[in-house]
Amino acid sequence: MRILLALALLVIPLSALAQQGPVQTLLQTHAEDIADPSRQTIQPVLDDLSASGLPAMTEFLEAWADKGVVRRDADGLFFYGQREGDVYVLRSVEDGAEAGEVGRREATELKPNAGVRRLIGTALVQFQLNDPDPARRRAALDALSRNATPDLLGPLRASIETEENGAIRDRKEELERLITLRFGENQAARLAAIDWLSDKVSLEGRAALNNVLTTRTVVGPPEAGANIARVLVPGTDISEPAAVALLAEAGFEVAQVSRADRDAALIAAIEGESVAGVAVASLNTEDARWAAYETLAQAGAVPPRAAPDAVARLLAETPITAVYDEPDPAITTAAAAALDEVGARVARAQAADLTLDALSLASIYFLAAIGLAITFGVMGVINMAHGEFIMIGAYTGYVVQTIVPDYTVSLIIALPLAFVVAAAAGVVLERLVIRHLLHRPLETLLATFGISVALQQIFKNIFGTQAVPLTSPAWLAGAWSLNDVIGISYIRIAIFVLALGFLALLVWILRRTRLGLEVRAVTQNPGMAASLGIDPDRVGMATFALGSGIAGVAGVAIGLFAQVTSEMGSGYIVQSFMTVVVGGVGSVFGTLVGAGMIGGLQKGIEWLNPSNTLAAQTYMILFIILFIQFRPRGIVAQKGRFVQ
Amino acid sequence: MTDATASAGRPTRITRGSPADHPSIRRPLIRRPDVLIFLAILALVTIGATVLAQTGHVSTSTVKLLGKTLCLCLAALAMDLVWGYTGILSLGHFAFFGIGGYAIGMWLMWDRTELIVLDTLARNPLPATPLEVQEAIGSQIFGVVGSTEIPWLWAFAGSLPLQLAAAVLVPGIVALIFGWLAFRSRVAGVYLSILTQAGTLALSLWLFQNDSGLRGNNGLSGLQNLPGLDHVPQSTISLWFLWASALALAGAYLLAAWTVAGRFGSVLRGIRDDEARVRFLGYEVEHYKLAIFTGTAMACGIAGALYYPQAGIVNPAEIAPIASIYLAVWVAIGGRGLLYGAVIGAAFVSLLSSWFTGGGAPDIDLGFYEIRWTDWWLVLLGLTFVLVTLFAPKGLGGLVDLWTERRSRRTSDLGPDEGALRAEEERP
Amino acid sequence: MSALLEVSGVSKSFDGFKAIDNLSFTVGEPELRAIIGPNGAGKTTFMDLVTGKTRPDSGSIRYGELSRDLTRMSEAQIARAGIGRKFQKPTVFEDQTVFENLAMALASPRSPWTVLTRRPSMETRAGEVAERVGLTAHMRRRAGVLSHGQKQWLEIGMLLAQEPRLLLVDEPAAGMTSAERERTTEMLVEAAKDHAVVVIEHDMEFVRRLNCRVTVLHEGRSLAEGSLDFVCADPRVIDVYLGRPEAGAEAEAEHA
Repeated sequence: MRILLALALLVIPLSALAQQGPVQTLLQTHAEDIADPSRQTIQPVLDDLSASGLPAMTEFLEAWADKGVVRRDADGLFFYGQREGDVYVLRSVEDGAEAGEVGRREATELKPNAGVRRLIGTALVQFQLNDPDPARRRAALDALSRNATPDLLGPLRASIETEENGAIRDRKEELERLITLRFGENQAARLAAIDWLSDKVSLEGRAALNNVLTTRTVVGPPEAGANIARVLVPGTDISEPAAVALLAEAGFEVAQVSRADRDAALIAAIEGESVAGVAVASLNTEDARWAAYETLAQAGAVPPRAAPDAVARLLAETPITAVYDEPDPAITTAAAAALDEVGARVARAQAADLTLDALSLASIYFLAAIGLAITFGVMGVINMAHGEFIMIGAYTGYVVQTIVPDYTVSLIIALPLAFVVAAAAGVVLERLVIRHLLHRPLETLLATFGISVALQQIFKNIFGTQAVPLTSPAWLAGAWSLNDVIGISYIRIAIFVLALGFLALLVWILRRTRLGLEVRAVTQNPGMAASLGIDPDRVGMATFALGSGIAGVAGVAIGLFAQVTSEMGSGYIVQSFMTVVVGGVGSVFGTLVGAGMIGGLQKGIEWLNPSNTLAAQTYMILFIILFIQFRPRGIVAQKGRFVQ
Repeated sequence: MTDATASAGRPTRITRGSPADHPSIRRPLIRRPDVLIFLAILALVTIGATVLAQTGHVSTSTVKLLGKTLCLCLAALAMDLVWGYTGILSLGHFAFFGIGGYAIGMWLMWDRTELIVLDTLARNPLPATPLEVQEAIGSQIFGVVGSTEIPWLWAFAGSLPLQLAAAVLVPGIVALIFGWLAFRSRVAGVYLSILTQAGTLALSLWLFQNDSGLRGNNGLSGLQNLPGLDHVPQSTISLWFLWASALALAGAYLLAAWTVAGRFGSVLRGIRDDEARVRFLGYEVEHYKLAIFTGTAMACGIAGALYYPQAGIVNPAEIAPIASIYLAVWVAIGGRGLLYGAVIGAAFVSLLSSWFTGGGAPDIDLGFYEIRWTDWWLVLLGLTFVLVTLFAPKGLGGLVDLWTERRSRRTSDLGPDEGALRAEEERP
Repeated sequence: MSALLEVSGVSKSFDGFKAIDNLSFTVGEPELRAIIGPNGAGKTTFMDLVTGKTRPDSGSIRYGELSRDLTRMSEAQIARAGIGRKFQKPTVFEDQTVFENLAMALASPRSPWTVLTRRPSMETRAGEVAERVGLTAHMRRRAGVLSHGQKQWLEIGMLLAQEPRLLLVDEPAAGMTSAERERTTEMLVEAAKDHAVVVIEHDMEFVRRLNCRVTVLHEGRSLAEGSLDFVCADPRVIDVYLGRPEAGAEAEAEHA
């Protein structure tokens, strides 16, 4: 039995040796240093391992740093080892294949200390940065950007040359610059990095530059050679109470007595009906209380209160400065300049982004308002239920989605269906209500408002008060982004395209079809059109169907990014009116210009006052009210003697 | 009813100058039947409610509901003047109502908070200083919007006369500026309606902001408690407000009836029907519109100032454009161009609305579906409103007219008659 | 007779269409003047320009002894200055009684405050006007129930009630029976005794009965001026009228 065991012990290493691959061979040449590494001795070993270029070396280094490597005492071979109870389960360092077990006491776990582990990590990065799998290279770069250390700079730089993937190469270069900026070997290198970053708008670049410019607040004269950012003047740069608090924190004696302290002291000093010889009842002004406190202070009963000018003097005498953490003024100056330059670049990019946003908003307003503009132009009536057609469209989309689970297919079905459903609703409204109120525009406005109230409540009763989801297909999720600043979601691009499509369709209908001819005739001169044999009822119905149908499609589009509720229409109705009124009634291009103006205006005001979108809307409406003063007929006004 | 009597009888009556068959001309206001009947009914309701409340047959909340309804009637009356008579469909008059409420609410809240604060501070060993009082009021009122500073808007909140004046003047000034801008550039019809709606939306959005200085969406609350009158029970206060509302409504009705009588009323209705023609007669249409727009805005301010102390709370949602549209709905259902129509509409619809939404109406079980009126009342209202607009443009008040006309037709000649016209044409 | 209204070199175009082209025109007080012309000659636009409904692109319109510039005044100011207008389609306030229509028109202060607070009796004056236009028996009837001719008279009555110095009358006889026409002629001739009256008319027969100086408008210009017989002999006038047979009144009906 013993012999057998001894044989077995002999056989295993032999077989292992027989299978020894390049990794194990290389490891064995540095066996002692690997088994018992120290920071002083390990670097040449790591260099050697790295130089080997063996792919499997990455995994070994990872396992090593992770304390996952054991050395079998019997033959000094290295294995990946997993402790399971009393044994280590061994795997080959070449390919991770099973390599039997060994008793707990017959192998030694390698436990590199923290310093060694860091060196291993650095070496490892080099491997990861050169990993054939692009995903691993990206992961390594991400890890690097989160956890940059100066010693990783070398491997990073080395890996740039050989990088074949353009995007990853760009990323490596950027990271190299960022790390150089932080840990660069000399001033020139860092300045070069700053210069390079001043061309970019990335968030990371800005954060890195800001990082260089972090300051601490120093109370009192700063130490010699400190890199002073600026002197903080109380009252302008910081509030006076904050400055006083800073002084107090820094140990300066500021004998300020708060009003609460004063009152507590006075109350404590009440004797019968008076404090310090003053009647309590007379202490009903701040001045009287301070006077009483002064009396107490003179008597020595309470700490004296510093005269206001004493505090002011102290503030004036004690400089408060913001000092850069970075000691080199050349670096901070360059960084500040670069940041300014980046800021200007970012502002330009933001303007571009804002324009995109405004365009997207304008296309939504256009879709929402164009139907209203057509019906208003042709029939001279305001349809207050127009917003509810938008809602009907959105709910149509929702119902289709509950039946057809595939989002792409359901969207393809929902768009035309929403058009048909909303157009049908529009025709019903036209035939049942609006036709009977011809030439009574105000009553039409109110009657359609009644319809709007009823429709909203009916949908609320059917679908509940909660918002229902209208999910966009996966290919519409996400956003197209040019850089860290300029970006727009695909849904909004799709809506923009949709709006363009409807614009083209409407222009075509109005310019090239019989219906368009009749619509234009009725819009410009209803009486003459009627006497030429154009049936205004038919034209009215057709335009109502068209206008309502477009509202339905707009509803699906809006539902994709906003909430679908029974009240969603009322949110758009006022904006739609504004669009029509500002643009000019009865004109497709007027509506386009109106939508562009209102969209741009809203985004512009939001940009000026980003914290408060409610105020932005208020200002926008006020602006429109004033605008109407100067162009009562809108931007694209109908002209002629027949316009009342 | 013969042609001869119709055409021969009248001239003599006219030369005698007794237009007895025309109620709106030259008869003292107080003797006109519609005014008399209106005042009588109003007095009956108010006195009746008071008696029933005193004897405990009617709850305080009912009295408040009645008082509030009277205020809404007052607002509807103003709306009728501006829309029914002058043809300006303002979708912003409820905003003036709200402004009136805010103005009085500021005083109610300030004064009451001041009393509470003084009471609390009086427990301190030291007598309160003005600064302490200010700070305590500030944190009490504006704590909800994360501020303790007192906005400039509240500079006069401690003065009842000034806030009362504000309840009337602020709506007036806002209406004057808005109306001047709008009428000057001849914005009319649906454009004006949309513009007023937009203005209302702007106001309510502004009020929704926390830094507007009016407590954002919290609005002003606790308005039912009159400062310094904590010992008076709400049942009594509610009666005071009922009477104040009734008096305001009666006064407004008389004023409105006086306004629409005579040539001024003619001009207003002329503007409604053919603005350009009135202009060619030499009347500055814009001035008339501005006068009526501003005057009714002030009336709405008064109505709001009486309403919100009874409601107890005013917040930006009250001012939302939809409220103003409802005002128009009431007037339309009641009857445009008829003063009592507006009052009937506001009273009828708002009382019915609180009956339905308050669960007073029995639900209808259809077997497969149960119609709960709390859910379906708005549908009913919306559709009713459409039907009224389509088929009864004169509204409920028109029914009254129809009835009185039918009665008078039995006694006097009114109708246009083809034969009579022919006969006159042939006469040399 | 001195010039009451002096229109000189006025032009107005709509979207490139010249409705009035360098028109000059003068009317004295008292005077009865008829303006005739084919459709689209600019007759209604001319009235719009004088009454302030439309502003001219160029030229001046002066009125009265003070030569006030009408192009700078509002419609209401022009009306109060003494220019009354009767529209082609009768535009009376159908919802109001004949009396109310007349009372609104009667010359009296027009400011809202005065109208609201001062309420003098207007029965007598309105009665007088009604008598002149033969509507005495209808004072208490709604204007909406009057016959077409009566509405025309009511409108003439409103015009007279304003006590204007210059009356602009647009197709007063349109849609009238022959008896009504005769009476309308009488009213206009009567009014022209102490007012300036400008009648725009289509109907040559009616113009002939007015027996007054005639201005022929064509394409926004004054083509000829003189007695009816004189202008009818003008070959250009014949050309214009014969070249374009009368074709209904729709084209002129749009200002309503």
